Amino acid sequence: MTTNQTAVSVHGLTKRYGRRTVVDGLDLELPSGVVAGFIGPNGAGKTTTMAMLLGLVRPSAGDGTVLGDPLDDPAAFLPRVGAMIESPAFYPALTGRQNLRMFATVGRLPEARIAELLDVVRLDERSDDPYRTYSLGMKQRLGIAAAMLGDPALLILDEPANGLDPQGVREMRELIGSLAHRGRTVLVSSHDLSELEQVCDWLVLIEAGRIVYQGRTVDFVGTAADGLAVAPEHPSDLAVLCAVLRSAGHQVHERDGRLVVDDVDDGHALAASVNRAAHAAGIVLVELSPLRSSLEDRYLALVRRGEEGGKS
Amino acid sequence: MTRIIRAELQRLLRRRTLLVTAATSVAFAAVATLGVWAAARTDGPPADRGGTTVARLAAAGGGTEAFAAGASFIGFFVFVTFIALVATEFSGGTYRALLLRDPHRVRLIAGKLIGALVVAAGALELAETLSFGLSLLLAPSKDIDTSAWFSLAGAGHALGNYATALVGVAGWAICGAALGVAFRAAPLALAVGFAWAGPFENIIARSWTTGYRVFPGQVLAAVIQGGTPEISLARAVTTATAYVGLAAVATAILLTKRDVTS
Repeated sequence: MTTNQTAVSVHGLTKRYGRRTVVDGLDLELPSGVVAGFIGPNGAGKTTTMAMLLGLVRPSAGDGTVLGDPLDDPAAFLPRVGAMIESPAFYPALTGRQNLRMFATVGRLPEARIAELLDVVRLDERSDDPYRTYSLGMKQRLGIAAAMLGDPALLILDEPANGLDPQGVREMRELIGSLAHRGRTVLVSSHDLSELEQVCDWLVLIEAGRIVYQGRTVDFVGTAADGLAVAPEHPSDLAVLCAVLRSAGHQVHERDGRLVVDDVDDGHALAASVNRAAHAAGIVLVELSPLRSSLEDRYLALVRRGEEGGKS
Repeated sequence: MTRIIRAELQRLLRRRTLLVTAATSVAFAAVATLGVWAAARTDGPPADRGGTTVARLAAAGGGTEAFAAGASFIGFFVFVTFIALVATEFSGGTYRALLLRDPHRVRLIAGKLIGALVVAAGALELAETLSFGLSLLLAPSKDIDTSAWFSLAGAGHALGNYATALVGVAGWAICGAALGVAFRAAPLALAVGFAWAGPFENIIARSWTTGYRVFPGQVLAAVIQGGTPEISLARAVTTATAYVGLAAVATAILLTKRDVTS
């Protein structure tokens, strides 16, 4: 990951429709080479922000650069950007291959890449069928192929897994993971946080048109455990184990048929201490595992804090 | 611009599209030619709007007279076709998707418009040729000597008829594209286009004949017909140019100022 250059840098980006502010003074810095998840609930302003970055929607205020060129000059940076926004859009009567040829012609892009891209998105066998006969997943994959036509330095994908079945979501995740190489920057929006957590090394969290977090995924989710899950071999030992651990000075509570030990400043030491106490009490443990908050947990906690802050 | 035109031609010049276009041209040529020849009057002035006389059919321009008389209907057909073509680009999201490859909004629509007009020009040429051929077959039924059709003057008439039809069709196409851009949804744009150029203009013009000289649809139809009793070709071209110019400017402003969203 190269972080000494910025792929996207915008300041005070705002979009108002009448009295309604959809994007509200957004400051966004996206380092080159990251796979960034753009996260927010429906209506948070993700698509509008992406549309402004692509020159489709004009900002009410704010400025910035995309790949070093001014935001208000999309002709300068779009040849180096690939995007799929809102939903894949192609001519229904044309085949997948014909659609890509047409897009390549308009963008003055080499048609030689079409066969390679159809192979990458696993559409080579259906490439000569009309687009209207494609499943939703195939349409999304063709959209990715179209975005990749120019071998872009920046790839912007708006909800690429939207409407896909679990298999399709997994394929899309693998595809996005495979696209992030050779210094390419990827900005992918979704409200499926578990999917993004697995593929993104950078996060941009947006809520009601405002950025609530941007930075490394690992910094947001954290590496330290939030607790330790402990379960005895025999469920009947649960109450005894709870009393033993409390008497050893640990903060313990029961959750879903097991114990959760809080306070994990030193996870290794805590695990060892718990294990020793259980062993001394003659209890065999079948689970002793660190608990980590998911991206979803962290995100929801952040949103809740924001709401509480707003009320107070 | 040329690559956008080329891309549009890639899309339109497919076997199925070509067959539909050719079939439409054949149908138009057959209906227009048979209708005009059947209604051609031996004595007196031609029938109202689109009619002709045997004397005119026997003149140098007789070979393409049926094409010229019937071509005004092509204008309306092109109008609704271009409304649908352009509005669907917006509602289907393909305009938005193509803008990501070429962000020059006006150039993109203009290129697509020109590409589609190239196909329309070919269809017109086919229709005129077929109409001429059919007229040749029908000429004996009216005891018409067709030698004048093959004179230099006949060629001039054929070329003139084609040129006015093409100019008129281009005008209709730009107006149709303007409605498509303005409404961005085919059903609404078509409803407005149909209502205006269909019943509205024609009903009013029948009771207020000045309408034939001022309504855009009537003026464009007059251009295609090479002028009408109500308005000369020169005046029709001038007025139509003003309307089409206005439509083009309004379209360019809408494209430039408006956000591109689904």
